[in-house]
Amino acid sequence: MSEKVYNIDDLQNINVEGEKYIILQIGPSHPGSGHMRLKVWLDGDIIVKVDPDIGFVHRTSEWLSERREWIKAVPIVERIMLPDTVHANLAYVLTVEKLLGIEPPPRAQYLRSLVAEINRITSHLYGIGIFGIFLGSSTVYMWAFGDREPFIDLMEMLTGARITTSYIIPGGVRWDLPNGFKERAETVLQYMERRLKDYEDIWVKNPVVQARTINVGTLKKEDAIRLGVVGPNLRASGVYYDTRKHHPYAAYSNLDFEVPTMKNGDSYDRLLIRVEEIKQSIKLIRQILKDIPEGKIIADQIYNQLNPVMKKNYEEKKRVMFPAFMIHMRPPAGEASAKVEAGRGEIFFYIKSTGDKYPYRFRWVTPSFRNLPYFTHVTVGHRLADLPTIYGSIDYFPPEADR
Amino acid sequence: MGIIPLILWLIQDLLYIIIFPGLVTILVVVVIIIWLERKIAAKVQMRFGPLWVSKKIGGALQSLADLLRYSFQEVIIPEKTDKWAFILAPGLMFAFATIALIFIPVGPYYSVLFPSYYTILFSLALIIITPIFAITVGWASDNKFSFIGALREGFLLISYEIPFLLSVVSMVIIFHTYDYINAVQNQLSFLPGIILNPLAALTMLIVMIRTTGRFPFDITEADSELVMGLFTEYSALFFGVGMATPYVELYNFSLIFSLLFLGGWWPFTLNVMNPVYGLILPGIIVVVKAFIVMAVLVFLRAVYPRYRLDQAVRSGWSYVLLLSILSVILSVVEVMFLR
Amino acid sequence: MSEVRKPRDPLTGHVKALAKGFKYLVEPNRMTLDYPAETMKLPPNYRGFFTVDDKKCIGCSMCEMVCPPEAITMVPRIIGEGGKTIPAPEGEKEVKGPKRTKRPVVNWGKCIFCYFCVDVCPVDAFIPTQVHDLAFEKDSEYRPSYEDYLKPPEEPYKNSKKVISKADLKRGVSYEPAP
Ligand code: SF4
Ligand code: SF4
Repeated sequence: MSEKVYNIDDLQNINVEGEKYIILQIGPSHPGSGHMRLKVWLDGDIIVKVDPDIGFVHRTSEWLSERREWIKAVPIVERIMLPDTVHANLAYVLTVEKLLGIEPPPRAQYLRSLVAEINRITSHLYGIGIFGIFLGSSTVYMWAFGDREPFIDLMEMLTGARITTSYIIPGGVRWDLPNGFKERAETVLQYMERRLKDYEDIWVKNPVVQARTINVGTLKKEDAIRLGVVGPNLRASGVYYDTRKHHPYAAYSNLDFEVPTMKNGDSYDRLLIRVEEIKQSIKLIRQILKDIPEGKIIADQIYNQLNPVMKKNYEEKKRVMFPAFMIHMRPPAGEASAKVEAGRGEIFFYIKSTGDKYPYRFRWVTPSFRNLPYFTHVTVGHRLADLPTIYGSIDYFPPEADR
Repeated sequence: MGIIPLILWLIQDLLYIIIFPGLVTILVVVVIIIWLERKIAAKVQMRFGPLWVSKKIGGALQSLADLLRYSFQEVIIPEKTDKWAFILAPGLMFAFATIALIFIPVGPYYSVLFPSYYTILFSLALIIITPIFAITVGWASDNKFSFIGALREGFLLISYEIPFLLSVVSMVIIFHTYDYINAVQNQLSFLPGIILNPLAALTMLIVMIRTTGRFPFDITEADSELVMGLFTEYSALFFGVGMATPYVELYNFSLIFSLLFLGGWWPFTLNVMNPVYGLILPGIIVVVKAFIVMAVLVFLRAVYPRYRLDQAVRSGWSYVLLLSILSVILSVVEVMFLR
Repeated sequence: MSEVRKPRDPLTGHVKALAKGFKYLVEPNRMTLDYPAETMKLPPNYRGFFTVDDKKCIGCSMCEMVCPPEAITMVPRIIGEGGKTIPAPEGEKEVKGPKRTKRPVVNWGKCIFCYFCVDVCPVDAFIPTQVHDLAFEKDSEYRPSYEDYLKPPEEPYKNSKKVISKADLKRGVSYEPAP
């Protein structure tokens, strides 16, 4: 086997024509590809080029949203980012609120942060689980998916749905904290803290995992910035940037948390950063449940439009019903954008309104799409078996990238 | 010897191959070990595992149900395959894995059909043939994933063969025999092999894990890279056979391990040439020991992800080879000073 | 964060991983719900199948308008005795004249259980249930007639053991018999 060393600059010059290389079509139906195809050129066991072919699950979310009433885009954006529903929902609603000029009350802000952090934990666990099965550890896969369950149960208790919560609406949120939520959340958090130690033994510090991930798929700080990757992957390369810190939304400006960063930017760091972020999210949830202010969960502009039946429901069941405004909402003409730090990175929303009942231009960029350069840039020069490692470690979710 | 005893011996030999510890026992053991593997993984992973097929006994019939399903599935032979090799290779793989059993005595009774004082050598020779058919499978499939799987199998085969043979050789040096029965008798009168030479036992265990594709050496079948590895193009019973063969190999290896290292049929020490005392009772002890070894090895699935090919090859040529050489040296030293 | 990254030496790593695996093998830790032998009693705000209160509904079509996947269709009805509605004559599309009204029917093949319709209804006419695991055999069952839609959804696995989920320090989620 010739141990040729390739680097990023070779990539442009390499001529992949001819019979010299094995071409593997990994995907779109392959256990290690997800809903995408990776075309891989191999020199022996060494990858010389990877061409990710995306778009297999393109669902025209932008087009659909431009032809519907404003409120109807909420379920659509949620379904694009299934492990990260709350963040998609939140990012969209923040944009619409900017257009409408509504400011939700503080309690609603805290509740938004709460669901967002619960969702971040489930999203990271999802990523860790998929990484696990890519390296062949079914235990971590099952554990991570099992450990999402207590958190999803919390979501279910609060919002009435497990994943696609549609919890955040312009002006506030739809339900208030139910009784017994705080106690249950505390139990779940303690459980998760204990479990993180177990993960450490069987997964994070498992010698096989370390052998497979350390110095595999390294993306240096400068390259990370140049390629525009986002989220935990960016922070794993050592860039201190987190939308929650740098452009606070919801209740994050009142909350105290750290943004963990790593130095090396290899697969192991990308794994560690997710574990560290779960720890931070646990801390945040504790803080939110302690500090959450009393008060309304919906802005006054919306509350005043509720009819007596709805107001009664709000007082008794802490449930926000929709006034007719929700259907007939026509944000004044203008443009707005919002950024939200989702589990996989930053979601960016841009919406243009012409004062009509549909959005005029609906544009959003999802984090997975921005993490796509990983496939072409860091895989080169590694072995075929490292491809799942890199794929798993960047926590790439094809439906999210395809929108 | 008269003709009638000869026929009786033949019948006994036939039963040896077909019933105990041959095919039927293999089937039972493999069915149970697959079920156990899934149950162990399920237990560690906080879930039930196979359950709803025969709920009363914890889903133990699940693997039988799978076998039935494989038997009735449509056999698909892709256009571009090398037909004969494609069809024959899995069968031959299974056959050789099974035939090796003839030379693995599970009791002091021994067959007249293949009387031999070189059982260790013969069984090793047959066991080493099996991977060749694995490579044939990969080559015949005309699928890049199978092809890469076959290449990986080849690399690993070469790098773990020598440690395997050396670990057996070191036991041969200690027991001073090429025959399992004598090896066991030696242990019965002295100490079990695992105490005499723990290094060889460790090497043997690692090689067992590698050869039968257990984790963390599940490299030829790595599903996130190679779909199903060698057996990507297979379906129906062929696939079932391909899936079962590693378990049969595991069974063989575990039998060898319990004969060479765990004292064989210890604590049963009678030496009678009689089917019940000579074969069945000691045989059950050996099979149970082998089963425990298998259970320990399948437990690893719940703990480890898989290594990369180059890492496995590198450790094969470095640590494991070193370990096996050390085990030979240890044996030589022991023989020089103890005997 | 360098102390986080510090790799473990292989021997300790292997021993700890094996020990942890073994610990989980021997201690009771099951998290799975043995569905359908046990089924869950869901919290009261769980969003399951829902019907409409025929008498309460005023036929305003707000629910139809808000439904994101357009799962709701309004069917023409005639208000009969005691406020109950009876089907409008065959072929009548327009809702004109005395005692004419409309009622919503949900196409379960399209509904995504967002409960926007339930929340937008000005008279709170929808009756939510926690039934979430219905399966339909035929395509036509997805689109019930109004009469069928009014029947409260039947829970499958009636004889199963009802449990509620509880947060558990040891297993994450544990299941207790429902009160
Ligand atoms: S729950 Fe949502 S999708 Fe279903 S009918 Fe109501 S509004 Fe439509
Ligand atoms: S919104 Fe309520 S009152 Fe209006 S049609 Fe629908 S169910 Fe009837």
